[in-house]
Amino acid sequence: MNKRILIVDDSFYMRTMLKNMLTDAGYEVVGEAANGAQALEMATATSPDLITLDVILPDNTGLDVLKSLRQIQPSAKVVMCSAVGQEVIVTEAIENGALAYIVKPFSEEKVLEIVGSALQGDASEQSA
Amino acid sequence: MKTRDQEYRELFMAEALEYYDSMSRHLSELERNPNAGPSLNELFRLMHNLKANARAMGFNDLGEVAHHLETLFGLIRDQERTFSGPLTRVVFTGVDALGNMIRAVGANQPLPDATALLDNLDRLVRGEEPILDAEEAAESEEESNKKMELSDLVYIQVKKLDNLLNLVGELVIDRDRIMTLAQELDNPALLATAQHLFRISDDLQYSVMDARLVGVGVLLNKFPRVVRDVASAEGKEVELTLSGQDVQIDRNILQIITDALLHLVRNAVSHGLETTEQRLAAGKPVVGKLNLSALTERDDVLIQVRDDGRGINTEAVRRKAVERGLVSANTAATLDEKAVWAFLFEPGFSMAQKVTDISGRGVGLDVVKLALDSLGGQLRVESELGVGTTFTLVLPTSIAVKGALLVEVEERPYAVPLLHTDTVLSLHPGQISVVGGVLVTYFQEQSVPLVPLRQLLYDEGDGPLPFATRDDITGPQQVLVVNYNNRRLGLVVDRFIRQQNIVIKPLSKPLDTIDLFGGVTLLGSGQVCLVLDVPALTRLFLNKRP
Repeated sequence: MNKRILIVDDSFYMRTMLKNMLTDAGYEVVGEAANGAQALEMATATSPDLITLDVILPDNTGLDVLKSLRQIQPSAKVVMCSAVGQEVIVTEAIENGALAYIVKPFSEEKVLEIVGSALQGDASEQSA
Repeated sequence: MKTRDQEYRELFMAEALEYYDSMSRHLSELERNPNAGPSLNELFRLMHNLKANARAMGFNDLGEVAHHLETLFGLIRDQERTFSGPLTRVVFTGVDALGNMIRAVGANQPLPDATALLDNLDRLVRGEEPILDAEEAAESEEESNKKMELSDLVYIQVKKLDNLLNLVGELVIDRDRIMTLAQELDNPALLATAQHLFRISDDLQYSVMDARLVGVGVLLNKFPRVVRDVASAEGKEVELTLSGQDVQIDRNILQIITDALLHLVRNAVSHGLETTEQRLAAGKPVVGKLNLSALTERDDVLIQVRDDGRGINTEAVRRKAVERGLVSANTAATLDEKAVWAFLFEPGFSMAQKVTDISGRGVGLDVVKLALDSLGGQLRVESELGVGTTFTLVLPTSIAVKGALLVEVEERPYAVPLLHTDTVLSLHPGQISVVGGVLVTYFQEQSVPLVPLRQLLYDEGDGPLPFATRDDITGPQQVLVVNYNNRRLGLVVDRFIRQQNIVIKPLSKPLDTIDLFGGVTLLGSGQVCLVLDVPALTRLFLNKRP
């Protein structure tokens, strides 16, 4: 069965790009959330295998969303997405259970590599 | 077919412009209140997104400026810098530069140089004073005694423009009155002054109308997102193309049709376009095409929503209309397809088999129709089964001043908005026949029923109109052919007066319940002239036809 992924990013452009990369690679993108509230709602509704989570979101910071996600969907693996400059938050995110992080702008190769190894469960503190 | 790169580019542009608009808004909030937390957070987030998106697109300079501004807003948010002094000026320059860069990307031009700006942003981040451009600084110092620096742009509330336009409307009416008086008095000096007044108030009117115009793009550019969301919810592949974003239209008109257009677009994706399986089965390309375009036609603006989907099933609509009791089965069988399609705009009429999340929440195309009627616009539909459907919104460019044709009945003038008029005909008795008690003429290979406007306006009661006979026709008939909802109707009038721009004033209570009249206007002679409401006249005729 295809692994199921939820994308959380407030930029429509970024979501589209990630979705295309992941879908082309055979993953099933089960939802696209544009803010923290949507992310939690969709995570509950779709029980994804993996969530890509943007660090900066309009309603919550990605970090708060991460903490809530860990509570409601402990089995879901979380990969943080961020442009450079937010390393402090990313470090904190890894401490709070995020498996890896992808630095924007990302290459297709790196995204698939990180998502792939996160899903295999052997990824830790990876960066692109 | 559109490549993915093109799609990304369009998405990037639409989102970047949206971000830029929000930035400007939050900056002005910050200017009023330098500690506005929510605005600072938003500016930080918008910069962050713009940076990431710009870098992904390879617009590195744009990304770099956004990155520096993001860092700076982070510092302001954490209260390590304050939004004051030279910092404010550099930030504004920075956001302006972002705007210019985004526009350059949109116009496929090289991005403007930002070295000096980046240097200043660097200094601010490091806590140093920015170096304001030597020339600019010198100039502003030199001129500081003479003038303040103000932007060339003024933001103005639409309400104020509305007020201005209303006043211009009043002025135009008085101008016409003075012009007529001057001609009557035949005083050369007065006449010359009146003519001058005529010209400048004309200029004034167009200047005010011009100030209210915006590009249709501000609305169209919001649709890539809508289409993508609806398409992905419906599991369909849709390629959206936009054109005519530069076509200018009154801002309030655009506002009024926003929901209507949203409805048409959602409808096109949900119901117009087929599922992937259906398209494959029909031998069509998997990706459905949707085109949103704006164009100018005479004085009107046309906005079209065109899909290459399944088209309207005319027979299904015909059956549904009979089921709903909108028309008798016998009459329905005689209607041509355009007349059948008109049922789609009846209140509550929906062809949807199931109510989906996205569209069809029991809301039909009648909503679209109502919005257009309120503007005096028109909705046209073209469709071919299996090939696609096109909805066309015909809109006036401006709200207040409308082109109208003045006609006379029983020595009273009436104004008919040009948007609803197709043509004027002068018919000899030989060109008119009688079919089922109704006068009919043939125009452009279509039979057009004729009715004396006098009968519609003067005959009392709800009873049907009298049977027409050949004896009613004596001499040539002046006919104004109006068009509403794809139905043509010929109004027989006593004479045509002239074509004129009119300012329509709504009827006030208790007269506003008379729906045959869309309002009233004053003619130059001071005479009150009623403005006919073509949709209401058409409905009245259909109800009363013998």
